[in-house]
Amino acid sequence: MSEFISNFPILAIMSLFLGAFITSLLGRKNAVVRNVIVFISMALALIMMLALIKPVFIEGKVIGYWLGNWAPVADWAIGIGLEVDALSLFFGLIITVAVFVSGTYSFTYMSHDDSLVNYYTLFLMLSGSVLGLVLSGDLFNMFVMIEIMTFTAVALTAFRNTYEGALEGALKYLVVGALGSSSVLIGTALIYSQLHTLNLAQITALLTNDQNIVTGIAFAFLFIGFGTKAFLFPFHPLAADAHAVAPASISLMISGVLTKCGVYGIIRLVYCLYQNIDRPFVQYLVTAFGAVSMFICVTMAFNQHNFKRLLAFHSISQVGYVITAVGLGTSLGLASGLYHAMNHTIFKGLLFLTAGAVQHMTGSLDLDELGGLSKKMPRTCILFLIGAASISGLPPFNGFGSKWMIYQAAFEKSSQTGNVFFLVVCVTALITSVLTLASFVKVAQSVFFGQLNPKFENTKEVPLAMRIPMWILAILCIVTGIFPGSVANKLLMPAVNAATNTRAYVSAMMGEAYAAAHQVVHAGAADVQLIGVYSPMSWMLLLLSITSAVCLVAVLGSPEKKKLEPVVGANVPNGPMTPGSIPVTSQSREADERELITDDLDPKYESFFSGEHAEYSQVGGSDLFWGFKKNWRHYFSFMHEWHSGILNDYALYGACSLALTLLLCVLFL
Amino acid sequence: MTNVLLYAVHLFLFPGLLFIVVMGLLLAGIDRKLVARMQNRVGASILQPWYDFLKCCGKETIIPRHARKGLFLGAPVACFVILISAALFIPVFGGLSMSFEGDVVVILYLLTAAGVAIIVGSAASGSPFAGVGLSREMVAMISYELPFVLVLLAVGALCGQDSAYGVTFSMDEIVRWQTENGSSLLHPAMIPAAIAMLFVIPCEIGMHPFDIAEAETEISEGTLTEYSGAPLGVFKLCHCVKMYVMTALFCALFLGGLSTGILLVDALLEVVFCIIVTFLCMTVPHAICARFKVEQVFKFYWTFVSALALISLLLVWIMR
Repeated sequence: MSEFISNFPILAIMSLFLGAFITSLLGRKNAVVRNVIVFISMALALIMMLALIKPVFIEGKVIGYWLGNWAPVADWAIGIGLEVDALSLFFGLIITVAVFVSGTYSFTYMSHDDSLVNYYTLFLMLSGSVLGLVLSGDLFNMFVMIEIMTFTAVALTAFRNTYEGALEGALKYLVVGALGSSSVLIGTALIYSQLHTLNLAQITALLTNDQNIVTGIAFAFLFIGFGTKAFLFPFHPLAADAHAVAPASISLMISGVLTKCGVYGIIRLVYCLYQNIDRPFVQYLVTAFGAVSMFICVTMAFNQHNFKRLLAFHSISQVGYVITAVGLGTSLGLASGLYHAMNHTIFKGLLFLTAGAVQHMTGSLDLDELGGLSKKMPRTCILFLIGAASISGLPPFNGFGSKWMIYQAAFEKSSQTGNVFFLVVCVTALITSVLTLASFVKVAQSVFFGQLNPKFENTKEVPLAMRIPMWILAILCIVTGIFPGSVANKLLMPAVNAATNTRAYVSAMMGEAYAAAHQVVHAGAADVQLIGVYSPMSWMLLLLSITSAVCLVAVLGSPEKKKLEPVVGANVPNGPMTPGSIPVTSQSREADERELITDDLDPKYESFFSGEHAEYSQVGGSDLFWGFKKNWRHYFSFMHEWHSGILNDYALYGACSLALTLLLCVLFL
Repeated sequence: MTNVLLYAVHLFLFPGLLFIVVMGLLLAGIDRKLVARMQNRVGASILQPWYDFLKCCGKETIIPRHARKGLFLGAPVACFVILISAALFIPVFGGLSMSFEGDVVVILYLLTAAGVAIIVGSAASGSPFAGVGLSREMVAMISYELPFVLVLLAVGALCGQDSAYGVTFSMDEIVRWQTENGSSLLHPAMIPAAIAMLFVIPCEIGMHPFDIAEAETEISEGTLTEYSGAPLGVFKLCHCVKMYVMTALFCALFLGGLSTGILLVDALLEVVFCIIVTFLCMTVPHAICARFKVEQVFKFYWTFVSALALISLLLVWIMR
């Protein structure tokens, strides 16, 4: 069985890629056949990843697989290898779950579009390539997967090419994405020229004691390359342009899955390949990139008018949290980063799907135009609120658990090193969180609450087939939030140990003797100590008992009076009196009579204003926080100029950041 | 069995539900009376908040046609419950065992969550006035959050300096350090942070000079525009409870460790200190200031108050 299970990684990747080809061959005629093929290949990949949990997470094995049985000859790895340790599997699980949810959502969500065979073919290829990237044990193979991932993602971004800006967004993504891919390629080539191998395990072993200036330059190229894939600052404008036009299911993939590949690449790079996370320079570099992305993107999100564009900026902001935490270099930092990476996929996926639901039913994503949908789409509204509470980090949802760990990690790090830089990072993270909350209040107010735009009078709730994937994510939000202890023990700690224990990683592929010969460090199991106290279960118990007590008091406290009065205008016109209910007052009777007279659309009787139609004054989404924006107007106008929307500028920022990182790496690494 | 009973007593009597509500209403009453005296008025009775609450509960609850009923009615209850649970994480004088274990970040986020409950409730009412009110509430929240966070970090850095990690978030740890080394207010580095905290408290509660979200004369009570009857009463009660939560938090952060060991005396001390803090940070500004504008509040908190808190944080960092 254990022999057979080592085939699972390649089978999971194959099932997605084969699914793509079979879909394009057989799915042209019949939509049902096509959907069944897609569903089966997604489910197979998910099941195989789940089956790997037992050997990898629980038994702590590292599964190696040589394609075509090209095992190393005389300690040189010449074949392509797959290597699955707990870190890879952690990301593999995130990816397959997200792919599964996104795919099942697509079945209904994409039903209005045509040439869906192309959509599903590209979708499965994208899924296969991201899975291949995290399971790969070979640097060049990672590059190939990055290329497939970038091009399929670009094609899918422009899938609805009738949308305004779809092609533009895709083109930007293509060009700057290619910059990132080339950067990875150059890094790979430099490493190959120095070490004559592409196998990750062997590179790890060779780099342990032998790093020179060329490998330092390769580090800069690889770091920026993976940073591009995670859309870190200064590559974040692309994500916004791509997300705003892509279908919501693809936005989920880009934000929840593609950015995670960048995160995975960076973790693999600094913890495993170069093992240089202990050096202060690398910590500053990674943390600074993360913290800047985190803050700039949340302020950018503040000003957006497009629902998905706003979510896109938040997506980068949250990835910034992850990278910040990863860059701290402590076990707690890495654990909290991984936890937040997982949570980000869950809650941001949920938010993108609710955005997709709104778009599907109303055809609009404009925050200034939408409004009052909570009456029309009550279930979507609840799902959105769950997602918004999670991303804003309100207890007991999962966002709180991971952010709380990140604050602790940063605060603890600042105390250990006595460095004010990490203190600033900690404060930035806390402030970013409240700004995140503010912009989700804005979305809630301008999409789901406030006044209904008469244009959307006939909006209906989304079909059940679209709500089920959303509920899956919403339930995951709550479950991973309430049981952070189990999540940490079962998922995070194995992944953290795998990332730091390079000895096991090398020996699994190259043999124990090889690892020993190159003095690869053997790290013990990480020990994570928290400086704070938060146990969601006991808090929930507390909350529950207080709630029940309050409800009890409320019920007992009003014996002769019903708790809920007859609702004005809610179809309870002076009905028969039940014993014990109070007589309807003259006021509410008057209101009821007026209710009978009014026509819903007659502006004369609009509830809030004196009756002039011109005074229909939904406070537009972008005007909500002027008290805050006025004070920051200089900053915002600078940002406005800076995010020019011109591709040349964005490519230039990318090139500049690459040049700067190169310079720093040459100087300090 | 005794454990369950003790748990219930702590939860519902002392320092739980009953004590918190009574304290909140008491502080609100005293604040009103003192403001009136300072403005040379007679003022209402100290029991006035009780009367207000009970009267609200006896009134009819009107739910506007545009409101989302479940959220509209659920929000006040959620706000109240979250506040009570936040209060239970704050240690009463010397009474570590009576409170539940928690840390400052959890308290911070629970207070935020209570604010969000108000925001969701007012958003669910569908009124444009509430829309303006909630946006102001959010701006106020952004305003005080930065200095608040800095104050909490400063206290965490001071009180955690002897622990293994050099910093702490744990409320227990903070009080224990103060028991051993004297109140943190006596530490010279903490005086600016204490002043900053005194400014944070009225904005967090939405007291007069900073009550931009509920400005009666401008936006007709903003977030509470559409509320009436019992839900309004619960929101008013939340307001009072918040007064206790914030003053008790101040006492725990800056005046912890003054325990005498006798429960009754400790509780009385807590009451006295809460009243003093209320007077300093709420009554005085209320009596002498007119309401700030929205953008003024933001600017004030992100420059002046944050600078005070930051000075403390840096001083703690340098002096350790």
